[in-house]
Amino acid sequence: MLMIRAIVRPEKSDDVLAALMDAGFPAVTKYSVAGRGKQRGIKIGDVTYDEIPKMMLMLVVRDEDKDFVIQTIMDTARTSGKGAFGDGKIFVNAVEEVYTVSSGVKEGVEEAAA
Amino acid sequence: MKEVIAIVRINMMNQTKKALSDAGVAAYFVREAQGRGKGFANPKVLEGVDQGYEEAAAVLGEKGKLYPKRVITVVVEDNQVEDVVQAIINVNQTGKPGDGKIFVMPVMDAVRVRTAEKGEAAIV
Repeated sequence: MLMIRAIVRPEKSDDVLAALMDAGFPAVTKYSVAGRGKQRGIKIGDVTYDEIPKMMLMLVVRDEDKDFVIQTIMDTARTSGKGAFGDGKIFVNAVEEVYTVSSGVKEGVEEAAA
Repeated sequence: MKEVIAIVRINMMNQTKKALSDAGVAAYFVREAQGRGKGFANPKVLEGVDQGYEEAAAVLGEKGKLYPKRVITVVVEDNQVEDVVQAIINVNQTGKPGDGKIFVMPVMDAVRVRTAEKGEAAIV
């Protein structure tokens, strides 16, 4: 299983969540974060904003679903077709064990995650 | 070293904090998050629809609603993982959908900023 963490624009997060739901990945956790990328924030006039609000989406998927989920997130989180600075990043981590609290069951590799 | 990420109900936080300290985990951090799960219908709502309540039928159509949750992140040694996971399951299990998920992930290294200790020494 893999944990996918995507940093996206806050205004795009609803679109991404809807797209993930349609694609068959209902289980997602999101929390708001602030950060900057390699453009060192945004400079507007004399003021540089280096803590730009973003939304972090966290979901755990089976290994074989990784590319599809990443493509779904990228297609919906990208702005104006070809993308712009600040559209975000996606990180993938290995998850060794997954437990469902309500049943207390340890999910196997063949089980659908989350 | 392993990172245990648990997504739990917000009203279970006090019991969970107590259970973690009983399990010998002193250090962890918690953040607010919103999330959704597989989206199984609540049996009580289905019952309400059967009895002809319109409110229940309206709720049934809601898909992808996000519920407020707490995300607990604990970094522990490999041999503690089982105890921590079991402690969280024991207090949070109500048997209903929405109890949460627990993920266990590998951690490559840890550093205690105060003393610059590395590895296992940084987390005990």
